[in-house]
Amino acid sequence: MQAALAQCGISYVACASHVDPLKPPRGAVMMVNYPQAWLAHFSDSGFAHVDPIYWAAGWMPREFWWDTFFATIELGREQKRVLNEARECGIVGGMTIPIHSPGALPASCSVVPGPDGVDPLDIPDIQFMAINAHEEARLRNGGSVNVPPILSKRQRECLALAALGKSDGVIGQILGISPRTVEHTIEEVRRKFGVSHRTQAVALSVVSRLVSLNELSD
Amino acid sequence: MIQIITRENRGLFRHALTEMHTQRRKLFIDEMGWGLAEIAGLEIDQFDCEEAIYLIDMSESGRVLQSARLLPTTLPHMLSEIFGHLCEAGPPVSNNIWEASRFCPAPDTPKGAPRRLLLGRMITAIMETGLLFGMENVTFVASAALAPLACTAGWRVTSLGPVVRTRRDRLAAFSAEIAADGLARVRARNQLSAPLTRHADPGLKRAA
Repeated sequence: MQAALAQCGISYVACASHVDPLKPPRGAVMMVNYPQAWLAHFSDSGFAHVDPIYWAAGWMPREFWWDTFFATIELGREQKRVLNEARECGIVGGMTIPIHSPGALPASCSVVPGPDGVDPLDIPDIQFMAINAHEEARLRNGGSVNVPPILSKRQRECLALAALGKSDGVIGQILGISPRTVEHTIEEVRRKFGVSHRTQAVALSVVSRLVSLNELSD
Repeated sequence: MIQIITRENRGLFRHALTEMHTQRRKLFIDEMGWGLAEIAGLEIDQFDCEEAIYLIDMSESGRVLQSARLLPTTLPHMLSEIFGHLCEAGPPVSNNIWEASRFCPAPDTPKGAPRRLLLGRMITAIMETGLLFGMENVTFVASAALAPLACTAGWRVTSLGPVVRTRRDRLAAFSAEIAADGLARVRARNQLSAPLTRHADPGLKRAA
């Protein structure tokens, strides 16, 4: 992938889980050709917890260029420091493609164009390579695709309201059923997921996109 | 100076091409609200390709002032795929006929005279490029605002079909003849005494 990206004018690429690059946990993806000095500094300084690119990639729905995106956002001192020190190592003017893969560690693929820039017609290819490279590496590392249980409409409704912080009593009122039925329904979902606490079931159903929090917000 | 950017030399102009696609996004998507796809902040459509010729008007400091695109009509282009109904006899297709589209002044160009001045320069550049590359005609789709300017620029223009009303505009297709006398008239109208276009040698990069 690096060679193909280099042909497109990309000098640096980091297709990686949002973790310490020198001490990645099991299952992390780490395809990075950033300068070693930067990776060491990033690791020593614990930047994985403050990097604004990781932060933005966690929630941005699609690709973003660092310069235009961070010009619109108020960053803290720590975040600015990461960007400034990255710049000193030549990591500057890049684009990040967020990777939202349920079950995988939070991840993204950043590409930094060389001095000649990137041919705009290559951008779709670059995105395609980035996303596929991450998933391939993840599966090669022993990552798996977890098939979530199928939930009924009533189960999804109860879970979504629970995720919004409603008590069983309130959920029952909204849906016109008894609190006992609500409790029982969420209990069914907990068993389907095979977890020991209902909060885990709520979290898993949100992360697996089985329920969406805005579904019931109106 | 208007750079003629082809498959052969586009490697020299990656920054300018990126700026062109950025300006197209700002003008056509952000400002005019056309329902076009956007990728990484760039407007790139299904017709953008290496076979296209891009004309990019650049200031001495390298700022992109305006751009336009020429597509060979032997490949899918706007008249063949989207605006066929504007051509009474069907879209003209030939090795010697190209289609001009995506006329895009830099979004910060003031409306009125400054934009008309740019259009005059771009039409001159299309004529020069056409003569250089053996084009006989250049077709284009014009809105109600663009049509009168494009039709009185000095080149010989024929209408390809009726004016068609759309939800937000009136559109018509035209064909302009590429010829030396037309170029002379277009240049005179725009008070241009020397060629505007340049075609950078793709070997330059290796030499540098």
